[in-house]
Amino acid sequence: MGGLILFIFYGSILFFIIAMALCVRKCINAPVHLHWELYKGSSIYELTEWWTKTHTTLGGKVWSVILDILFLREFYYRNRRFWYPLFVFHIGLYLLIFWHLWLFIRAVIASPETASGFGWMWGTAATAMTFVGGAVILWMRVKDEDLKIHYPPIHYLKWVFILLTLLGGVYAVDLHFKSSVPALLKYVREQITFADFEHKLRPSLAPALHILFASVWLIYLPFSHVFQLFFRYYHYLKWDEVPNLRGSEIERRVKEHLGRPVNWSAPHIQSGKRWREVASEMEFSITKGK
Amino acid sequence: MARSCLRNGILYNKRKINFTPSPLTGEVGGEGGLGTFTPHLNPPPQKGEEIFLGVIFEAMGTEKKKIRLQDISLRTEEPLTIVTTDDLMPLPPPLDRTGTKPPYPLLPEAKKKEVECSLDGVSAISLPKPKNKQEEKHLVERFLRGLEKLLSQNDNWLFWQPLIQSLETCVRCQTCSDACPVYVSSGRQEIYRPTYKSEVLRRIINKYIKKRGNILSKLTGDDIELNWPAVARLAELAYRCSLCRRCAQHCPLGSDNGLIGRELRKLFSQEMGIAPKEIHDAGTVQQLKVGVSTGISSSAFQGMVEFMEDEIEEKWGKRINIPVDKEGADILLIHNSGEFMSWIENPVAFAIIFEAAGLSWTLSSEIYGYEATNYGTWYDDVQLARISIKQVEVARKLKVKKMVMGECGHAHKGLIVIADRVLVDEMNFSRESFLPLLADLVCDEKLKLDPAKNNFAVTLHDPCNFVRLMGIVEPQRRILKKICPQFREMEPHGLENYCCGGGSGFAIMNSMNFKEWRENISGRMKLKQILETFNDVLDPSIKKYVCAPCSNCKGQIRDLIDAYHLGQNYGIRSGGLAELVVNAMADIEKSFIEWDSP
Repeated sequence: MGGLILFIFYGSILFFIIAMALCVRKCINAPVHLHWELYKGSSIYELTEWWTKTHTTLGGKVWSVILDILFLREFYYRNRRFWYPLFVFHIGLYLLIFWHLWLFIRAVIASPETASGFGWMWGTAATAMTFVGGAVILWMRVKDEDLKIHYPPIHYLKWVFILLTLLGGVYAVDLHFKSSVPALLKYVREQITFADFEHKLRPSLAPALHILFASVWLIYLPFSHVFQLFFRYYHYLKWDEVPNLRGSEIERRVKEHLGRPVNWSAPHIQSGKRWREVASEMEFSITKGK
Repeated sequence: MARSCLRNGILYNKRKINFTPSPLTGEVGGEGGLGTFTPHLNPPPQKGEEIFLGVIFEAMGTEKKKIRLQDISLRTEEPLTIVTTDDLMPLPPPLDRTGTKPPYPLLPEAKKKEVECSLDGVSAISLPKPKNKQEEKHLVERFLRGLEKLLSQNDNWLFWQPLIQSLETCVRCQTCSDACPVYVSSGRQEIYRPTYKSEVLRRIINKYIKKRGNILSKLTGDDIELNWPAVARLAELAYRCSLCRRCAQHCPLGSDNGLIGRELRKLFSQEMGIAPKEIHDAGTVQQLKVGVSTGISSSAFQGMVEFMEDEIEEKWGKRINIPVDKEGADILLIHNSGEFMSWIENPVAFAIIFEAAGLSWTLSSEIYGYEATNYGTWYDDVQLARISIKQVEVARKLKVKKMVMGECGHAHKGLIVIADRVLVDEMNFSRESFLPLLADLVCDEKLKLDPAKNNFAVTLHDPCNFVRLMGIVEPQRRILKKICPQFREMEPHGLENYCCGGGSGFAIMNSMNFKEWRENISGRMKLKQILETFNDVLDPSIKKYVCAPCSNCKGQIRDLIDAYHLGQNYGIRSGGLAELVVNAMADIEKSFIEWDSP
């Protein structure tokens, strides 16, 4: 049984890494799309000869990402009622992720015995926030007519599972480790340093349960909305002002795509020719990428 | 006293209605509101008066069936929904009166047998009904093939990334719903909810393309049957969204239901050859054939330019030689050809301004050179690319330094922004909006202007294509603040503006009962905004001007003004931005804006 849990846990980590790599690969290899943007304010198109002007800097974009992801800014402005539980949930979740990172680092760099109660307070507060936020979201998803509509059954299961995972964490930390941060850090240290393999093979119920929950999340995360959201920024799906200048990387990629065949079947399309021929309604002797 | 009636297959209750304001909402008719109206106004009912409104359906008693996603596949002769007068969003005074005429007439029985109207009783695209089951099956198969292409990187490289992103990121928070003017104006009809068509499509993809197993399908709710009624309704549904993308702007995750609507249109056009005649046959096909969607020949265009020169001399005492085909000019100005047909004062105004500012500019009489429109923007990538390339080719041959787009929103978005990723090498030609140029001329005092000449109430309609979809927000405001002392903003405005209701081709689509639909439903929010903006100056003797610097928006607002008699009853008219600039020019003695003309 212990071996199975070990296999699932390390297997899920491996799965997570491979799935994320595939997602990133899919994202990077996606074709450059037409310039179909939205703007959140004045853009360079307000200027004459805009193509010579500086567009949004990377710093500006990163700042926008931080505000969006950390504070759920768009929800704050567009759907305040839903933002309250979402914000509590996400802040709790971020704190919980950082708490786990702290556990891993703290367990290795210093003696577990010297840890204060601060770690417990941090973890408990983060768990409580995540749980309360998650529970309110689930309740709203059940009760609110707008939030219920089109919401597939699998997402209700997801929220129940989130709450169970959090309860599993509380069970492990507060009942199994009796709210003792040194005991928790000692256990984490054993896991990271592979100090006690016997302990890994014969885990107690509470840590085993929590590890199983964690494994499920590792398998789910690459398919979650959070990562899709991240890819949005990579692809400039909103607010892109980067022009396609002659000789630019964008132009090079567009030229590649113009060499692709057109397979649409409507009578006006001229199916079978390449994009460049179909669009210009002229014959070209082209090679791919030229 | 309550009675019921069967109308269009839907059971309604009719009863005496106590016409008292609701204590909660202030709307008449109590909860649900009876503050409804049509362009054909009846005398307003008196407070407390009990009236029997005949076929007006009392909202509380109207138990319309709740539309589910699965209903898209229902085989029924009757539409899924019919929008009634009761459903509509109330308008502010003075149009806050009840009426009895429904928002759109239903098609005659004979027509209903010929064309699909099973979504809401409206036919936007005159989609013929299949003759038999075999044809139905064939069409459904073609739809599925098109859907596969839509999801293929190879076939749909142009929009694959944002489409996939939009399909995968929606968290069903419905934040977008209240951002949609069609959904809100129609009284929140489920079928018009921005996510309705997207969710249907998403579930069809999961079931028929990804072919998920039974258990996962049940968990993800992929239980929609793909049959001909579903395909036909999706085809119509793609033309109930004006692609204003206000929903996408409001989506916290950036999911773009407007784009999904456009991709559906594309699937129908590029794979199945299905598109509204006004946009395809009489639009892009005609433009590619003769150079212009309005059918104006090159010689007729040159005649119009001569007419413009004579008109300027006759009315305003200036002789201007409008440059045509001037090689090497700095600017090729390209208008929506609809301006020459319906609002020639707009190109006239541009000519006066550019000449007064001493710009080096020209018009083109080459085919493709005097037409800025590109209806492909709304429904078909191939037609979009073809037209863009032909337009740029004209500018290239004329050896001008840049193309400047006149007052046409979708032409801006199509040629300047979207086609940016189609035009390469020598075709990657400099293109910009007229707005920054005009703002510089006005604000840098290159023109002698007297704002007192524009001393009437002016408001600005923000065309979605300039503002939300391009980020051109301030130049038009700088101009209006400089030349219009009574300029007042609509609410909301700028990026938060509402579509005029004529976007994405709606303004030129008039077949069957679609014109009534767009006047009473898609244009309703804009009508409400206009009335609210001018609510303190509704006296018809007070001049009011809705500035709509886009041909499509101008056409739609003109239709709204006509349908609701806003001109004769309240002194409201619409027009472009260049006209206001010329009207303020100090050396133009006679008023440029002709208030008596429509």
